[in-house]
Amino acid sequence: MSEARAPAERGGAGGVSLRRLLRRPEAPALVFLVVLVAAFTLANDRFLQVGNLESILASVAVLGVIALAVNQVILCGEIDISTGSMLGLCAVAAGAVATSAGGLLLPLLAGVAMGALAGAVNGFLVTVGRIPSIIVTLGMLYALRGVILLVTGGTWITGIPNETRVLGIGKVFGLGYPVIVLLLLFVVMELVSRHSTWGRNVFAVGGNRRAARFAGLPIDRVRFLAFVLVGVFVGIASVIYMGRAGSVQTNTGAGLELQVVAAVVIGGTSISGGRGSPLAALTGAVLIGVILNGLVLLGVPGIWQDAVLGGLILLAITTDVLRRRLVGDKA
Amino acid sequence: MSAATAVLRRLRFSREVVLLGVLIALVVVMTLLDPLFLSPTTLLNTSRFFVEVGLMALGMTLIIITGGIDLSVGSNLGLVSVAVGFSYAAGLPLPLAILFGLVVGVAAGFFNSVFITFLDLHPLVVTLGTFALFQGLAYGLSNADAVSDFPAWFAYFGQAYLGPVPGQLILFVVAVAVVWVILSRTSFGRYVYAIGNNEEAARFSGVPIRRVKIALYSGTGLLVAMAAVIYTSRVYTARADTGLGLELGVISAVVLGGASIYGGSGTIGGTVLGVLIIATLQNGLILAGVPSTWQLFILGVLLLVAVFLNEFFRKSEE
Amino acid sequence: MFGSARKLKVVSTTLLAALVAVVASCGVGQPPSQGGGGGGEGPAKVCMMPKLVGIPYFNASEKGAEEAAKELDVELVYDGPTEAKAALQSQMIEQFIQQQCGAITVAANDPNALAPAMKKAGEAGIATGAWDADVAPDARDIFVNQATFQAIGYEVVDVMAEQTDGKGEFLVVTGSLTAPNQVAWLKEMRERMKEKYPDMSIASVEPGEEDLQLGIDITKNYLRAHPDTAGVFGITSVALPGAAEAVEQAGLEGKVAVTGLSTPSEMRPYLNSGAVEKFVLWNPVDLGYLAVYVANAQIEGNMPKSGTFEAGRLGKVKMLAEDEVLLGPPLVFSKENIDEYDF
Repeated sequence: MSEARAPAERGGAGGVSLRRLLRRPEAPALVFLVVLVAAFTLANDRFLQVGNLESILASVAVLGVIALAVNQVILCGEIDISTGSMLGLCAVAAGAVATSAGGLLLPLLAGVAMGALAGAVNGFLVTVGRIPSIIVTLGMLYALRGVILLVTGGTWITGIPNETRVLGIGKVFGLGYPVIVLLLLFVVMELVSRHSTWGRNVFAVGGNRRAARFAGLPIDRVRFLAFVLVGVFVGIASVIYMGRAGSVQTNTGAGLELQVVAAVVIGGTSISGGRGSPLAALTGAVLIGVILNGLVLLGVPGIWQDAVLGGLILLAITTDVLRRRLVGDKA
Repeated sequence: MSAATAVLRRLRFSREVVLLGVLIALVVVMTLLDPLFLSPTTLLNTSRFFVEVGLMALGMTLIIITGGIDLSVGSNLGLVSVAVGFSYAAGLPLPLAILFGLVVGVAAGFFNSVFITFLDLHPLVVTLGTFALFQGLAYGLSNADAVSDFPAWFAYFGQAYLGPVPGQLILFVVAVAVVWVILSRTSFGRYVYAIGNNEEAARFSGVPIRRVKIALYSGTGLLVAMAAVIYTSRVYTARADTGLGLELGVISAVVLGGASIYGGSGTIGGTVLGVLIIATLQNGLILAGVPSTWQLFILGVLLLVAVFLNEFFRKSEE
Repeated sequence: MFGSARKLKVVSTTLLAALVAVVASCGVGQPPSQGGGGGGEGPAKVCMMPKLVGIPYFNASEKGAEEAAKELDVELVYDGPTEAKAALQSQMIEQFIQQQCGAITVAANDPNALAPAMKKAGEAGIATGAWDADVAPDARDIFVNQATFQAIGYEVVDVMAEQTDGKGEFLVVTGSLTAPNQVAWLKEMRERMKEKYPDMSIASVEPGEEDLQLGIDITKNYLRAHPDTAGVFGITSVALPGAAEAVEQAGLEGKVAVTGLSTPSEMRPYLNSGAVEKFVLWNPVDLGYLAVYVANAQIEGNMPKSGTFEAGRLGKVKMLAEDEVLLGPPLVFSKENIDEYDF
């Protein structure tokens, strides 16, 4: 909770000290990112080409958009590991509308609506059902994947019209739409997280639930909205995904949930809640994209990807704990 | 006080009795759908499929009672399978390879416990990380390949019979007995419940929390390794993806059996019933001709319903 | 407190019983299994397992299988795991055995992993077979092959050579580096290049793991890193559309040739956009159809040992060996003929 007040403090005290900057939760990840980019550029100068950088950002756009929302869920002390199957289901909904009605707005609405519905189920089960979020989202991960298989009967959705694919492959002034959407949503989340009542409540609920309850905060509503937000963002991401891939497979999104949590945690948001920011989620997503891209450029076989991801998660949470002990944080 | 104890005892009996009732109901339904379901051969064959999940569920029960969780058991299984198969293919004699696999399983569990106890990290995110790490190591070290030319006697673990009874079922029964004794008759078992009920209070009463947790996660690692050897022997192939997705079934069985995900309660009997119910459901559905695409959905819903009921009625108890 | 104990019992029993009832109702529509193993009263039962369910290729073979089952008046069970994992298939085979199938035929994710289960089926008197991807030969009675590895590998290379003047360096995107049929095709492709197109060579082989987005990203990254690649082979039904999509997104249609193995339904948009001129496959509908005919012949005991085998509307198909039936030569699809097929 002390972190949530930090921005205001910073403005008041005359200038930003380096130490205070380094205390921000995103600091280690950002430093790591800069170091990594430098290292990869030295190893292969094709890394720093605009085309490659833009491609990295585009490839993590889906991951980043979802991570921005899951970040809020983790901040308020819960977790969501159903996002992979949710992406598939939203893509199926959006794809079905796209192939029958065309356009961009209707498929987008379909995807967002489906996501919001799934997110609402998650939120309902966690708040009213009082089931721990790890179990709810684990069950939903499998149940939703089953729904996808049942609804599609195993057939892919192909032939997505070009106007629907705009968010995936369209460009504006040379910048791809996925990147634009990602950065736009990032700015929105930064504003919401710091300046909206809900955003500040998320920190409070995650930082110390009991205190938040005594303070009279609407804990259930705060958490419920966080899960619905995940659904909405997954819906948006599904249209980006569909645009980039051109068709919807039955296993769309499989394994994504792990990368999303990894991005949030690696970027600096604490898994116990109350500490972190949208910047952490974005940094984490970009970091993962850079690492995976870098691995390919270095010729590391793809089968080692999961090991790298797992190792990074452990490294990130360990560093966070060690950092807090060294710096002497009370949080 | 004694009236309350009597009622509490009845409540505890209630949960297991309800589960037993559900199991019987399921068996009846499955038999109606397929008369051959109730034949001894079919039942015994069904038992071969749930031993691996059952062994892991035993360890998971204790972990969940302490309020922790272990999402890495499935990946650990794949890692052990690869360790056994590929060290054998590299030239290690098979008995040593199997021993090596067991060591790897325990080491993996110990690895989890280090992060959880010494660094005080939340088991959820630690085992999420090791879920990816172990799986990735298994894929990478095996190069996504498989080892299949084991000597004939290796099939013994997963495919042998003692009379009409599958060998691994006997092993499972022994394991259930051992863990049950540990949990309900030893001070170690009392420590486990104490940690789950209130870790701070347990620490003040002198419970060696760190040692207990290390033992729990490492012990689960051993159970996972045993399950891995049986599974590998049953399908006669060592592959990295052997255990993928099994953690859902394991956690579902424990939760279905009555353990609270917040810790403090749970029994071996309940877990065993949970394992049996899920196995009956899975096997019965396939025998009845229900396409496997329904299974994912049903399992996910089952987990949600089971936990909901657990927590809903736990609240009304208080 | 007394009341809540009883309430606990009653309500939780009711809810769990309701769950059981809902689940049971899923199975009510299915006919219960009957008869002994391998023949007996009632229609013959053929149990057929794809590598996995949920991809268009295996949906197509299911259609063919159902067509044959109807013509022959046999009962067909077509089911497989939801992921392409041999361990899951092995368990399902054992469950098929319990279902008293007359014949079990499987498209194997791993030829050796399924051997014990298939052997068990054989010992139970069930006719055993494989289709699309073989199991270890001593674990099954017969293999229904869609096309020889050689025919497939050669055809794919020939199609590419047409478009690239028989020269250049190529990327191959495959499924996994260890899937036996993919490994075999690669070997034949290399041989064809060596003997007929010495100026063609395979520069790199990347696994796309049956993930469409991954295939797209791999191809895009590779083409960016190796701009004078002459063409891309996508040798699985997921890798090829991925490669085509990548080439299209990079604006390289016509400059980088793309071909490989996939289904018409997935490739139609790319034939229209010009990213792909021709691609190769066989007819999975026919393959499924043939597999059921063979399984039925096994049950009835009149499977020939050599020469040709009469299979309904397919006419006479060749027997490559006593235990191998061949569907036929691979099919080459292009804009001209793609509309004749709807799988």
